[in-house]
Amino acid sequence: MGTLELDGVTKVFPDGDGEVVAVDDVNIEMRDGEFLVVVGPSGCGKSTTLRMVAGLETVTSGEIRLASNVINDVKPQHRDIAMVFQSYALYPHMTVKGNMAFGLEESTDLSDEEIETRVTDAAATMGIAELLDRKPSDLSGGQQQRVALGRAIVRDPEVFLMDEPLSNLDAKLRSEMRTELQRLQSELDVTTMYVTHDQTEAMTMGDRIAILNAGELQQVATPLECYHEPANRFVAGFIGDPSMNFFDVERDGDTLIGDTFDYPLSQSTLDDIGDVTDLTLGIRPEDITVTEDASGDHTFSTVVEVVEPMGDENTVYLRFEDAPEGETFIATVGGLQRISVGDEISIEIPEKAIHLFDGSTGEAVHNRDIEE
Amino acid sequence: MTRNTDTGDDSGDALPDGGVAESGQRSGFSPVSALNERFGSDFVESSQFWLPPFLLVGLFVYGAIIWNLLISLTDFTGFGTPDYGDLDLEMYSRALADSGFVDAAINTFILLVGFTLVTLALGLGLAILIDRNIRFENTFRTIYLLPMSLSFVVTAQFWAWMFNFNNGVINIVITSLGFGRVDWIGNPDIVLWAVMFALMWQFAGYAMVVFLAGLRAIPDEHYEAAKVDGASTVRMYWRVIIPQLKGSTISASVVLMVFALKAFDFLYSLVGGYRPPNGADILATKMVREAYANLNWAYASAVAITLFLMTLGIVGPYLYYQYNRGNL
Repeated sequence: MGTLELDGVTKVFPDGDGEVVAVDDVNIEMRDGEFLVVVGPSGCGKSTTLRMVAGLETVTSGEIRLASNVINDVKPQHRDIAMVFQSYALYPHMTVKGNMAFGLEESTDLSDEEIETRVTDAAATMGIAELLDRKPSDLSGGQQQRVALGRAIVRDPEVFLMDEPLSNLDAKLRSEMRTELQRLQSELDVTTMYVTHDQTEAMTMGDRIAILNAGELQQVATPLECYHEPANRFVAGFIGDPSMNFFDVERDGDTLIGDTFDYPLSQSTLDDIGDVTDLTLGIRPEDITVTEDASGDHTFSTVVEVVEPMGDENTVYLRFEDAPEGETFIATVGGLQRISVGDEISIEIPEKAIHLFDGSTGEAVHNRDIEE
Repeated sequence: MTRNTDTGDDSGDALPDGGVAESGQRSGFSPVSALNERFGSDFVESSQFWLPPFLLVGLFVYGAIIWNLLISLTDFTGFGTPDYGDLDLEMYSRALADSGFVDAAINTFILLVGFTLVTLALGLGLAILIDRNIRFENTFRTIYLLPMSLSFVVTAQFWAWMFNFNNGVINIVITSLGFGRVDWIGNPDIVLWAVMFALMWQFAGYAMVVFLAGLRAIPDEHYEAAKVDGASTVRMYWRVIIPQLKGSTISASVVLMVFALKAFDFLYSLVGGYRPPNGADILATKMVREAYANLNWAYASAVAITLFLMTLGIVGPYLYYQYNRGNL
């Protein structure tokens, strides 16, 4: 079945006299039918990883196994995978039908009638039945996208590989196709590796997310785990929009000493930290609450620098009273709450919502409490 | 010779060269406004730019063709002046009865089709090989294109030496391999193919460059998509890449065919005279020989018109294709 395993996969590109490590010892196991989203900033090696699975790049070291067979040296045409490209890569001289039939004609011994039936079925699934005789140049971007997906699903492969398939669509179409892709993938139940730089797609679509940075795998986990229990500071900052606020702090006894604030910790949090003293405190913008009562240990006086009303909520850029101008952090508060620039407000950073990361390695040493 | 094809309703609008045109002149002078009305708002004003080249090209190209057609209808021969009073198609019927003309026409056709197809195939092959990220790509490209930069006179002399019966490189190689000498130029059954080979050597580089440009325009994703779709390298080129080179193929074939039609220079230089080797006479050499060696002006004109019609038969469909694609 379509289990896909990446075992210590590494890709090194020669670069002049030196070399560039594009993908560094990546280990991922995908179970059959799983939808894995590989996400990371540009240049993090996510596309290279996908292309190695497709066979379009060689693997420098490590193993890629499909259904327990090592496929490192198998040519792409013999891997039983289908790929959707960012640019769609539809063959311009063929009709939609020709595009969709091409893979079946080249990779299977099916008769013309069978191919015709499967193309018609796949076209019906994708809602492009009436476009079958048109050329790609006569189609809109969204239609081309559907044809590209149809071309992949008609093959009925072990694995789908998708390289930022939605990034060329406008925002509205993109969110429609996102839902449709999810539905399609769960219907077809085909193992899918989906590469994107868009963390919204990663959060909403995947069974699990694999986060890459600088060629190294940061975390493989469900979207909510990545959000609430990030393995390190990079994951915490990458997942979530607006992203998590970070403050560099020193631990002194049972208190965190920051540049502009002190933050006392309870015993259970201190137990997590162990003897690390150089720390980064993280707090998600939505966990910061505005409060009237400024007397608590975890309440601070702040000045409002910028307010971005989003309708349902306001994104507020705050500054600690003692902090220099421009050194802000972000809080999101209810859309009906009246806050204007220059206001002095008290906020609470609740201890149950904070994350603590090792200041030098970035590893998470304490994640927020999750109420059951 | 571009002109504005607006209907002229907006002829009062500001002209790009508005400093030249005077508004009073436009309404008062009727032939100018009538012409502008018919051909567009700046037809008369812009004529000083396009009219001189229009007249020169018209006279020396199209005028000469028409004059040539007229001469082909006379019986003009030797010295003197043609008699335009008695026009008939006698020269054309004479041509059809002349086995030399028919042979030349057949040779022209063989050269045209054979040379074009073989050169296209070779150029495509070279282009595909060079496009596969080989080392020293630029060096190879230059080497293959170099023959194209040589004059026909030079390559003809060069190949005359190559094909030389006694000392030619080709015969030396062949005899050293144990085969007998071949009379490349002297044997009427072989000479046309030898000429075709030499021309192919010269023009394959050109076809390669045209195809290479076409290949470079195809995104990498098409190669990758075809591979992932299960196509072998050969099938990928055959079904996905080469069909996308239709435009390049058409452009390259037109140029190659036109060169094949005027291979006169090559044959003239090969033997240093109007009489090409037996078996290699083509319409172009026949035409020049009839005109300047035999002074059969009218007959040569008829051959020229035949050649012109063949060229038109090649270029016409190409222009029509380009016109349909909106490129003209």
